[in-house]
Amino acid sequence: MYDILQALINGTFGWGWPDWLIYLISSLVVVTIILVVAPLQMLFFTYYERRVIARMQDRIGPNRVGPEGIWQPIADGVKMFTKEDIVPEAADRIVHFLAPCVVVAPTILMFAVVPWGPGMTPVDLPTSLLFFFAVSSISAVGLMMAGWASNNKFSLLGAMRAVAQMVSYEIPAVLSLIAIVMIVGSLSINSIIEYQAGLLISNRDLPGIPDLGLGWFVFTPVGFVAFIAFFIAALAEGERTPFDIPEADSEIVAGYMTEYSGMKFGLFYLAQYVLNFLLCAITAILFFGGWQGPGVNWLYAQAITPTNPDGNGLFNVLAGALGVFYFLLKTYIFFFVMVWLRGAFPRLRIDQLMDFGWKFLIPLTLANLFSAAVWVAFTRWGAAEGMLITVGWSPVLRWLAAFIITLAINIGVYLWLTQVYAASQAERRRVELEELSATL
Amino acid sequence: MLQTQELQVNIGPQHPSTHGVFRMLVTVDGETVVDLKPVFGYLHRNHEQIAEANTYLQNMPYTDRLDYFNSMANNHAYAMAVERLAGIEVPERAEYIRVLMVELTRILNHASAVGFMINDMGAWQTPLAFGMREREKILDLFEMASGARLMCNYFRFGGVARDLPPEFIPNLRELLVALPAYIDELERLLRDNEILLQRAVGIGILPREVALSYGVTGPVLRGSGIPYDVRKAEPYSVYDRFDFDIPIGKVGDVYDRFLVRIEEMRQSKRIIEQVLEQLPDAKGGHINPKARQNVRPPVGDAYARIESPKGELGFYLVSDGSGKPYRYKVRAPSFINLTPLADMCRGYKVADIVVILGSIDIVMGEVDR
Repeated sequence: MYDILQALINGTFGWGWPDWLIYLISSLVVVTIILVVAPLQMLFFTYYERRVIARMQDRIGPNRVGPEGIWQPIADGVKMFTKEDIVPEAADRIVHFLAPCVVVAPTILMFAVVPWGPGMTPVDLPTSLLFFFAVSSISAVGLMMAGWASNNKFSLLGAMRAVAQMVSYEIPAVLSLIAIVMIVGSLSINSIIEYQAGLLISNRDLPGIPDLGLGWFVFTPVGFVAFIAFFIAALAEGERTPFDIPEADSEIVAGYMTEYSGMKFGLFYLAQYVLNFLLCAITAILFFGGWQGPGVNWLYAQAITPTNPDGNGLFNVLAGALGVFYFLLKTYIFFFVMVWLRGAFPRLRIDQLMDFGWKFLIPLTLANLFSAAVWVAFTRWGAAEGMLITVGWSPVLRWLAAFIITLAINIGVYLWLTQVYAASQAERRRVELEELSATL
Repeated sequence: MLQTQELQVNIGPQHPSTHGVFRMLVTVDGETVVDLKPVFGYLHRNHEQIAEANTYLQNMPYTDRLDYFNSMANNHAYAMAVERLAGIEVPERAEYIRVLMVELTRILNHASAVGFMINDMGAWQTPLAFGMREREKILDLFEMASGARLMCNYFRFGGVARDLPPEFIPNLRELLVALPAYIDELERLLRDNEILLQRAVGIGILPREVALSYGVTGPVLRGSGIPYDVRKAEPYSVYDRFDFDIPIGKVGDVYDRFLVRIEEMRQSKRIIEQVLEQLPDAKGGHINPKARQNVRPPVGDAYARIESPKGELGFYLVSDGSGKPYRYKVRAPSFINLTPLADMCRGYKVADIVVILGSIDIVMGEVDR
């Protein structure tokens, strides 16, 4: 934001404002945008979800408030604000009050590192990916606080489920990201996006490739497995069907939110949808190139950037708009998939969820990590860096070898794991049945 | 070992998936169910006592409110009991119309039972919408015939209240053409879903002997592998003239109960097709013209039972010669099928309780009366 303002004010308009003023203005603008955009995304997501699910169930969905019911989330928000805020008699009042704040604050913080378009990252940290996932884990503490402070057994059960689920699914999520981090060699979300330029599948490692911004990780074997594992883990972290176990409405009413009403309930709701948005966004960023897409890089090359100070400020806006469009499009497609799953699937049981996470996803992501190492070894290390086998190979050959070997590893591991997992499930079911028949 | 503590949780009486005001006092060890105690009576509305203060005909609409999904089946059992008590003949066409209505009710009940079970598993309303789609069409037919969709009050002593309207049969035929596709779709929803299989196979097993000792009937009993169906065991009405099979399960788990329900829908469709072939075209044959509706049966007692969609539904009536029953007793299938709930749930997880409860398919109006 500083770059753009600097370019516009001092470059294009030539007003010559001092640096500190531009810093101040850009910070204020960024903070305002984050605080406005996060709830707006949430409002739109609730509307979007309800309309899509209604389509699946042969209904119309909200359509009374405003054209096509577009103001329905606003009406819901007003309702939330006017509801009585009930604190149970036996609750721990302070913790009960703090829990929603602890849940919401990290999700808003995570917005700070999301790149919306080229040069449009609010805070460009060199370790933004680490920041993103470190902050996202804080909300688990808030959930436990909510469940414990409510002094309600449903809340406690829900909170225990939520924490167990979040903690165990963070491992496969982060393991699948490490594969990407290994290939890119950076923890910065922006470097990861910039890396995904180039042409389909081949990425930008190969020489003579036109920059279409389509070198997304999902087209490589390593990236594809990481994407699947990460998206499943993201469903569990965002508490979406089929992993919406912590708030299983048909079992434990509303889980940790049971004793909350009014805007405190609204805050939990906000946190959940904002988290869902962020998880969809990070999926789009890491595996589908974020704002990358045909045309963005070309536009951005004409714009004013630190490396290209003589560009045209108009292209900053154009590249930004196109980038934001691509980014939001991808994010909304992933959210659509989440809604689609919600409309179609029953939910897993907590022990089945744990089984799947620990016995299937984690081994799969570990094997994928190995594939990533192979990929890096083949594509990155030339003769200069001492990988003996590939000395003297042409880049195309190296890339092809990496592709085939990682594909073979991943397919093999997947097939083997499905068999082992199915066998272990069958064995477990048999033992359970035996125990049960012993008790009868 | 870690020191753990058992926790007592009240599921219900106000709970989204107890199918009414039903309470389960569950003792859990973490997520595992150690013990479960069903508590009911929250919907007790003195049904049997009220019935003793009413005339026989006045009770007919009350029976609608027992199992409010299947008012036609309740009507049938009650009408049969009174007819037995007072010795009323039923014309052939009326018998066929009765069978037609009860079989339609069975399809309606099973479709929504499957939908509700998958809903209890956590699928967000979509399967329920699938089940309800068939239900709507059948309710439209009920409305044509009786004027009401849920509380039909259609049966009378010696027949049914009015004859089928002329547009009924064409509409029914249309429904029958669409029905196989609907049922297949519901079944695919069950069979092809890995998550659903994980949640249903091997869950809530009710062994044959346990099922028999509790006196369980209906799809729950047949799911446990016992081919007992009142329609075959003691054919009433005109059921001996139809060709149909009794599907049974192998293991007696949640999955078997629902496969049995799906197959029963197909069999009901078969029966309806045979009814349409055999339906006598007698004008005014829908009710015995000599049957008085304000019956005063002779002193004595009578028990009539039918295979309602939920199990064996029986009415026991004692007459003292007046216009009101001296004693009126309902053998409600939901109530008796609910009793082995604790045996079915013990050792499973908290999340399984609601699925097992959904697989029994209860209606609290019938359990508490």
